[in-house]
Amino acid sequence: MLTYIVRRLFQLIVVIFGVTIITFVIMFLIPGDPAQMLAGKSPTPGKIALIRSELGLDKPIYVQYGRFVNRLAHGDFGTSYQTDRPVSAMLKENIPYTAQLALAAVLLELIGIPLGIYSALRQYTFWDSAYTTTALIVWGIPVFVMGLFLQWTFGLKLNLLPVTGAGDLAFGIFPNSWNSFLHLILPAIAIGLVEVAYISYMQRAAMLEVIRSDYIRTARAKGLSERQVVFKHAFKNAVIPVMTIAGIDLGALMGGAIITEAVFSRPGVGQMIYSSIGARDLPVVAAGVIFSTFVYVIANLIVDLSYAWVDPRIRLEE
Amino acid sequence: MTEEVVATAGEGAMEVKPLSPWADTWRRLKKNKLALIGLVIIVIFLLVGGAQEIANLLGPHNASESDTAAQRPWWQRGYLAPYDPNGGDFHAGPAGPINPPSMKHLLGTDYLGRDVLSRALVATRISLLVGIIAVGIALAIGLSLGPISGYYGGAVDSVVMRMADIFFAFPYILFVLLIMTVLGPGFRNVFIAIGILSWAGYARLNRGSVLSVKQVEYIEAARAQGASDLRIIFRHVLPNTMAPIYVAIAMGIGGAILTESALSYLGIGMRPPDASWGSMITDYQTYFFAGQWWMLTFPSIALVVTVFGFISFGNGLRDATDPKLKE
Repeated sequence: MLTYIVRRLFQLIVVIFGVTIITFVIMFLIPGDPAQMLAGKSPTPGKIALIRSELGLDKPIYVQYGRFVNRLAHGDFGTSYQTDRPVSAMLKENIPYTAQLALAAVLLELIGIPLGIYSALRQYTFWDSAYTTTALIVWGIPVFVMGLFLQWTFGLKLNLLPVTGAGDLAFGIFPNSWNSFLHLILPAIAIGLVEVAYISYMQRAAMLEVIRSDYIRTARAKGLSERQVVFKHAFKNAVIPVMTIAGIDLGALMGGAIITEAVFSRPGVGQMIYSSIGARDLPVVAAGVIFSTFVYVIANLIVDLSYAWVDPRIRLEE
Repeated sequence: MTEEVVATAGEGAMEVKPLSPWADTWRRLKKNKLALIGLVIIVIFLLVGGAQEIANLLGPHNASESDTAAQRPWWQRGYLAPYDPNGGDFHAGPAGPINPPSMKHLLGTDYLGRDVLSRALVATRISLLVGIIAVGIALAIGLSLGPISGYYGGAVDSVVMRMADIFFAFPYILFVLLIMTVLGPGFRNVFIAIGILSWAGYARLNRGSVLSVKQVEYIEAARAQGASDLRIIFRHVLPNTMAPIYVAIAMGIGGAILTESALSYLGIGMRPPDASWGSMITDYQTYFFAGQWWMLTFPSIALVVTVFGFISFGNGLRDATDPKLKE
């Protein structure tokens, strides 16, 4: 077990290196000179050169990368070209918005579990086909289309909920005021509804598979009530694989929901990275990419470990 | 999976002739109404999106096509489009350029007087091309690296799989955004970016199947006959590991269409004035909120229905090829 965790953490380091190298190379290939962009409207060549050497942009790419890794090893993400602020401070500011959204969306998508189970237990009924059809349609709705229609319905027509921004400043993973809670609802639904559809479809499939297995037949044969069969025997085995999807989703969403944040003009890690790409702000992009990758990989690791813990049949060898 | 296994596992006593894997899959797929609806949507999508190519195959160019349309690059012509998709007309209707759906313009006109139907039709071919070419690129990379990695194992396998890990862990939409920023917006770049980023899934999927297939006796037999490694991989191993890949292709095309629309929504997909469903949605959202619903609604419906078609068919295909679900 311990060797498994160590190996996975080692893989994480390899992945982080790979991801940062790719990010560096890509940011280098993007046309445009950050120093020139920072120098203002009509810069003198001297000013550009000064900025360039200040930022270390006059050095070759591997030297810049080496400096970056060195700083990173000391826990320093560097300073944003654009805002001249420490990147870690920017991250700290944006993470709560993203964390709130991710948590709300994942909590919402858990609704898919009872829906999927209910649908599976009523296979071949009208409810089941109607629900499965709806789920498949919703599954394919792009989050920005969902967002726009939610904004139109609940913002414009019903005038019930705020449609842009995040309300008050965010500090933790929970909204700290009624206002910021209201701002969270529509973006969370935009992401969550699509995921509810996906999760419930997966849950339905998992439940159908479990309910046909031998041990369920045995449970029925020994005369247990349907309620006992479903909730005591089938439920656990059917829910575990779906919970792993939710866990991985949480990891992916924690890394920033670029499109959702764009639709709702909501601050967050995704927006921070997206606006920095346009500005060639390498330190912010690199830090954002590292953060997103890190939470995603860690979420995967935690999911795998808890999967093995809940289901002893799974062995964590490969 | 050999034909014999399929036949014994899937057949009743009535039929004598063993079914080929294709026939067996079709027999099971037929029972799934949602998958069939998905298939119908896909066929309509292929016909509408590929109308230009189909017409070109059937005969020479229709003379009624306007000159301006002919001057545009081939992917922008749109054979079925009743109007020039990029040609504005400020006197499209009594109200000026913006007109709700009417007999003349079935889906209305946009703020430049462009016919929404024509734009949506041209966008259909964009989605089709992005879906097919992007998945084609991803498949070409994934189905070369996956089987080689699984077949040889060892160092080759480690390198390929660590690369796949990196591509998996890199937040997808962020990766596409970065690549698109390097390449710049435009039709070709969209499918290059999506294609080179989606190979890892196919590679990993196929590697797993190769690992299980390569131990089977007929591979041993091929080797004993002196077949080369490459021949064994691509002639004997790969064809027997394709079932999950077909499912992944259906889902992948749907996914590529979604990604393209997301990129165009963020403004770095198609280059204006070229239409794609995503760029139409981002272009028309202010008009949507102002009550001119038709511009945004129709491309949204087209996008959602098409993606539904691929997801629904893909899921049906998965169920139909899954040996565990055989009755």
